[in-house]
Amino acid sequence: MSSVPVSAYLALALILFCIGLYGALTKKNTVIVLISIELMLNAVNINLVTFSKYGANPSITGQVFALFSIAVAAAEVAVGLAILISLYRNRRSVNIDEVNQLKN
Amino acid sequence: MENAWLIPLFPLVSFLFLLLFGKRLKEASAFVGILATLASLVYSILVLLERLESPTHKAEAVWLTIGNLELTAGFEVNQLNALMLVIVSLVSFLVHTYSKGYMHGDERFPVFYAYLGLFTFAMLGLVISPNLLQTYIFWELVGVGSFLLIGFYFYKESAKAAAKKAFIMTRIGDVGLLIGMILLFWQTGSFEYDEIFAAVEEGAISGTMITLTAILIFIGAVGKSGQFPLHTWLPDAMEGPTPVSALIHAATMVAAGVYLVASLFPLFNASETAMLTVAIIGAFTAIFAASIGLVQNDIKRVLAYSTVSQLGYMMLALGSAGYVAGVFHLMTHAFFKALLFLAAGSVIHAVHTQDIEKMGGLWKKLTFTGPLFLIGTLAISGVPLFSGFFSKDEILIAAWAHGNYGLFWLAVIAAFFTAFYMFRLFFMVFTGEARSEMKNVHESPSVMTLPMLVLAVLAVVAGYVNTPWFGAFLGDWLVEGNEALGHGHIAGPGWIMIVATAVSLLGILLAWMMYSKNSISRDWLSSRAPIAYGVVKNKYYIDEIYNQSVVFATKAISLFLRFIELFVVEGLVKLTTATVQALGKTGAKIQNGQVQTYGTIAFVGLAVLMVIYALTGGYL
Amino acid sequence: MEFNYFLSLLVFSPLLGILLLAFMPKTNESGIKMLGVLATLPSLVLALLAYFSYRGGSDLANFSEKFRWIQFGGQGAEQSGMFTVNYELGIDGFGLVMVVLTAVIATLAAIASFHIKKEWKGYYMLFLLLEIGMLGVFTAQNLILFFLFFEITLIPMFFLIGKWGYYEKEKAAYSFLIYNGLGSAVLLIVIMVLFSRTGTSNIDMLRVILNTENAPMFAPISESLKMGLLVALLVAFGVKLPIFPLHSWMLRVHVEAPPSIVMIHSGILLKIGAFGLIRFGMGIFPEQFADLAVLLAVLGVINLLYGAFLAFIQTDFKMVLAYSSISHMGIVLIGLGALNEAGIQGAIFQVVSHGLISALLFFLVGVLYERTHTTTLANLGGMAKGMPLASGFLLAGAMASLGLPGMSGFVSEFMAFLGLFEEMPVLAAVGALGIIMTAVYLLRAVLAITYGKAEREFVGVSDIRSFEWAPVLVLIGLIVLIGVYPAVLSEPLQATLETILMGIGG
Repeated sequence: MSSVPVSAYLALALILFCIGLYGALTKKNTVIVLISIELMLNAVNINLVTFSKYGANPSITGQVFALFSIAVAAAEVAVGLAILISLYRNRRSVNIDEVNQLKN
Repeated sequence: MENAWLIPLFPLVSFLFLLLFGKRLKEASAFVGILATLASLVYSILVLLERLESPTHKAEAVWLTIGNLELTAGFEVNQLNALMLVIVSLVSFLVHTYSKGYMHGDERFPVFYAYLGLFTFAMLGLVISPNLLQTYIFWELVGVGSFLLIGFYFYKESAKAAAKKAFIMTRIGDVGLLIGMILLFWQTGSFEYDEIFAAVEEGAISGTMITLTAILIFIGAVGKSGQFPLHTWLPDAMEGPTPVSALIHAATMVAAGVYLVASLFPLFNASETAMLTVAIIGAFTAIFAASIGLVQNDIKRVLAYSTVSQLGYMMLALGSAGYVAGVFHLMTHAFFKALLFLAAGSVIHAVHTQDIEKMGGLWKKLTFTGPLFLIGTLAISGVPLFSGFFSKDEILIAAWAHGNYGLFWLAVIAAFFTAFYMFRLFFMVFTGEARSEMKNVHESPSVMTLPMLVLAVLAVVAGYVNTPWFGAFLGDWLVEGNEALGHGHIAGPGWIMIVATAVSLLGILLAWMMYSKNSISRDWLSSRAPIAYGVVKNKYYIDEIYNQSVVFATKAISLFLRFIELFVVEGLVKLTTATVQALGKTGAKIQNGQVQTYGTIAFVGLAVLMVIYALTGGYL
Repeated sequence: MEFNYFLSLLVFSPLLGILLLAFMPKTNESGIKMLGVLATLPSLVLALLAYFSYRGGSDLANFSEKFRWIQFGGQGAEQSGMFTVNYELGIDGFGLVMVVLTAVIATLAAIASFHIKKEWKGYYMLFLLLEIGMLGVFTAQNLILFFLFFEITLIPMFFLIGKWGYYEKEKAAYSFLIYNGLGSAVLLIVIMVLFSRTGTSNIDMLRVILNTENAPMFAPISESLKMGLLVALLVAFGVKLPIFPLHSWMLRVHVEAPPSIVMIHSGILLKIGAFGLIRFGMGIFPEQFADLAVLLAVLGVINLLYGAFLAFIQTDFKMVLAYSSISHMGIVLIGLGALNEAGIQGAIFQVVSHGLISALLFFLVGVLYERTHTTTLANLGGMAKGMPLASGFLLAGAMASLGLPGMSGFVSEFMAFLGLFEEMPVLAAVGALGIIMTAVYLLRAVLAITYGKAEREFVGVSDIRSFEWAPVLVLIGLIVLIGVYPAVLSEPLQATLETILMGIGG
C-alpha cells in the first residue's frame, strides 16, 4: 500500500528519541527537560503505532496502547508542571542543577 | 609365650589405675607399680626360659585398613626380644622398688609411679614389636614417658627446659626414622621385619636405597641413644629424679636406639656405607662423650656422659658387624649403669647435693652404697672378671676383626678415659676428707639398697654368659637360626684383651694418683692447656653452637614469615579493602543528586550492555 | 529398619529447641542452658543410631530421602530442559562420620557454653541454628541445598562472634563475614554454572554427567571451564579451610570468638572446606583434580610449615592454636595432594582428628580463661600446681596434636605422609620438618603455661570441675579410641574412598 519502509518510521522514532534524550540529559531549564521527555514518549508512540500496522502480528492493540501512553503523558506533564511551579515558588528558579534536595 | 603380649599390659594397667585412684592411694601407689612390674618380670623370665628351647613366636592382627593395604599390629618373641623383655622388666621392677624409698615424701608420689608405669608399658611394647610401624608407635610413647619423667619437677625452669629439649631432640631423630620407615615401606611393601629382610636378601631394593633408609633409621637411633650430634639432651635429662635416670637414661630407653639397629641388623649389614656410618658415629661418640666426662663435676652428669660414651661403644660394635657384642654390652651396661645411677641416687639422697667437689670421704658413712658403687665402677671400667670387661672385650675384637683399626684405637683410648673418669668420680666422692659440711648423712633404707644389691650381683656375673673362656652361650643363642646376624663369637687376637685390661688399669692408676694420693696435681693438665680444658669443660660448646645456629635460624625464619604475614598477606587484605573503599568513594561522588547525571549513567550502562549483547550474539 | 525422614529429623531436630527457647523467659539462666544442651541431644542420639546401625550392617542408602521441591523452565509438555531442585538428603561413609563428629562436638560445645555470661537465650537459639546448618551441609545431596545450609552457618556465626566475643569481636565478625561471603559468592558462581549447563545440581548425577563422554546437557562444559570451576572451588573452600594466603580472617575468629564457638568453628566449620574439596572437587572433577594434585601438595607443605613457624613466635596461646590449625590443615592438603588411598584416608582422618583435638584444646582455653582471664603466655606459668588436671589434659591435647601415637593425630599424620611419600618423596621429606616444628611450638606454648614457676599467683583457681568433665573426657576418649582402634573411622570410609579413587582412576 505504502512504499515507505518500516525502517523509516523506526528511524524517525529513533531520531526523536535521541533528541529527547539529549535534551533531558543536558538542558538546565526544567521546562525544556519536561518537553524533551515528552519527545521521548512520542518517539515510543510512533514505534507502537508502526508495529501495530506493520509488525509481525498487526493488530489494534498497539494503537490502543499509544492512546494510553498519550493520556499518561498528559497526566505526567500536569503533575510535572505542578511540581515545577511549587519549586519555582520556593526557589525562584527552574534551573535543574539546583534541584538536589534529595541528596542532602 | 602365646600370651607374651600381656607383659606390657601389666604396667599399663598400673598406669591407668594410678591415674584414677592414685590420689586416694597416696604412697601405697608404689605397691601397685611394684606388683605390676613384678608380674611383667616373672612373665618375662618365663617367656625367656621358654624361648631358650622353642622357636620364635609371632602373632598379628589387622590394625588399620587403607584401601587394599592392611597394616598389622601384634607381637613377636625372638631371642633379642626375649632378652630385652627380661632386662627391661627387671630394671624397671628394681627401679620401682627403689623409688619407694627415694621418692618418699614427695607430694606427687602417685603421679611418679603412674608415669613409671606408662614408660615401662611403652618400653616393653617396643621390645616385642614385630614390625617397624609398631616399633615407631612405642618408640614415641617411650619418648613421652621420658619427657614426663624428666619434667617431673615441673616447677623448676631447668627441668622444664630439659624435658622440652629431650622431646624435641629425640623428635628430630624420630622424623628420620619415620621417613626411613615409610621409604622402606614403599620399597618392600611391608613394615614387617622379616618381610623387609627377605626383600633385602632378594635384592629387591637398590643399594643406594638400602643405604639411604638405613641411615635415616639410624638417625632415629642417634636421637634416642644420645649419639653425636643429637646427644645434648641426655646430660640435661638428669634433671629428672635419679631413679628415672637409672631406668630410662641408662638402662632402657637410650638403649632402644641400639636395640633398633640390632633388630634391623640385616638391613644395615647389607650396606657397607651404612655400617661404616654407624661405626664411625659410635666410635666418635664414645671418645667424644668420654672426654667431656673427664671434667664434669656433677655426679649425674658424669654418669650421663659415660652413658652416651657406652652407647657409642654399642653402636661401634653393631657397625663393625659385632651383633652379639653390641647386644651383650647393651645387657651388661644396663645392669652396671643402672647400679651406678641408683648408687648415685643413694649418695644424693644422703648428702643432698650433686656436686662432687662438695663430697668426699663418704666410704665410711655409706657403708653399703660405697662398695656397691665400687662394683659398678669396676664393671664399667672393664676390670677383668667383671661383666663390663667381657662385653667391652667383645666390642674391641669385633672392631678389630672388621678391619676398623682406626676406630679400634679410638675405642681403646675411650676405654682409658672411662676408667679414669669413673675412678675420679669414685675417689672424689668416697675417699679423702669431706669438702663441705654434711649433716646427718645416713645410709639409705633397705628398700633402696636391696635393688642395688641385685644389680651389683648381676654387674659381676652377667658377663659370664658369654666369655671366651667358658663359651659364648648368649652369642650362640642370639644368632641361632639366623645367619644374617653373624657369628656368636668372633675370634680375635689375644693381645686385645691384654691391651684392654692394661688401659683400664692405667686409667684407674692415674685417677688414684691424681685424686686419692694427690701425687699428681689435679690441674696438671688443665693449667697447661687451658683453652683445650675450657672447650672440654664447656662440652665443646655444642649447646651454644646449636643455640646460635639452629635455634637462631628457626627464630629468624619465623620472624621472616611474620614479616610476610604482616606485610604481604595482610597487605593483600588491605589492598582489597582499599580498592573496594576507593570504588565506593568514586561511586559516592557520582551520586551527586543530579537526576541528569543518573540518567546519563543509566543510558551509558544500557548502551554498553547492548553492545556486549550484540557482540556476543546474545549468548553469554 | 525403616529410615523415612530419618535425616530430616536428624538435621532439623535442633529447631524444636529453638522454638522452646523462644518461649523461655530471658532471665531463666539455668533453664536456658539446660534446654540448650538438651536440644542438641536428639541429633546426637540419631547420629549415633545411624552410625551403629551402619556398623550393624544396614545400608547407608536406606537413609536417603528425596522430594521434588522447585521446578522451572522447560518448553511444552515434553518437559525437556527442565531445571529441577529436589529436597534430598543422604549420607555416605564420609558424611556419616562428619555428622557424628558434628553432633558430638555440638553437644560438647553447648555444654562448654555454660561459660557464656550474657543473653543466653539469643546465644543458644543462634547456636542451634548453626547446628542445623552444619548438619545440613554434611547431608545435602545437591549443590543448591548444600549452599543453603552453608549460608545458614554463616549468619549465626556472624552474630555469635560479634556479640559474645572478646575485645575486637566486631572486627573479627566482619572479617569472618566478608571472607566467607566472598567464598560463598565464588561457590555460588560454580554451582550456577554447573546447574545452568547440566540442569541438575545433584552431586551424584553431576559426577556421572561430567565424567561420561557426550552426556546430555544444556550447554557443553569444556575441559578448561572444568579446570576453572575447580580452581574456583579451591578458592571457595580454601577460604574456609583455610589455605595460605586466605587465612587471616580465621586467626581473628580464633582469638576473638568465645571458646565454645571456636570449638565449633575450628572443630567443624573449617572442616566444611575439606569436606567440600573432597566431595565436590575430587568427586565431580576427578581428572582436573589429579592435575592440580602437585599444587595442592605444595600448598599443603606451605600451610604446614608456615603455620608451624608462625605458631612458634606467638605470644598468645590462642594465636598459637590458631596457627596450629593452619598448620594441621596443611596435612589435609598434603593427603589430598598425594591422591592415593593412604593420602585421602589420612586427609579425612585428619579432618576428624583435628576436629576433636582442637575442640579439646579450645575447651581448655575456655577453662583457663575463665579462671585466669588471660591467655598471654608471658602471664601464665606453673599452672600445673594450681590446676594439675586441667594442665594434664592440656598436655594430653598438645601431645595428640603433635601426633603422638596412640592418639588420633598420629594415625592421620602418618597416613597422609605415607601417601605423599609414595608420590612425591622429596616434598614429603620437606613437609616432615613440620612434624618437628609442631613439637617445638606446641611444647613451647603448653609448657610455658603449665610448667615452670608461677608468674603470678592466681588466687583461688580451681581445677576442672562439674560440667567441665564431660567435654574433656568424651573428647580425650574419642581421640584415644581413634588412635588405638582406627577401624572405627576407617571402615565407614572405605566405600567413599573407593568411589573417589575410581573417579581418579587410581
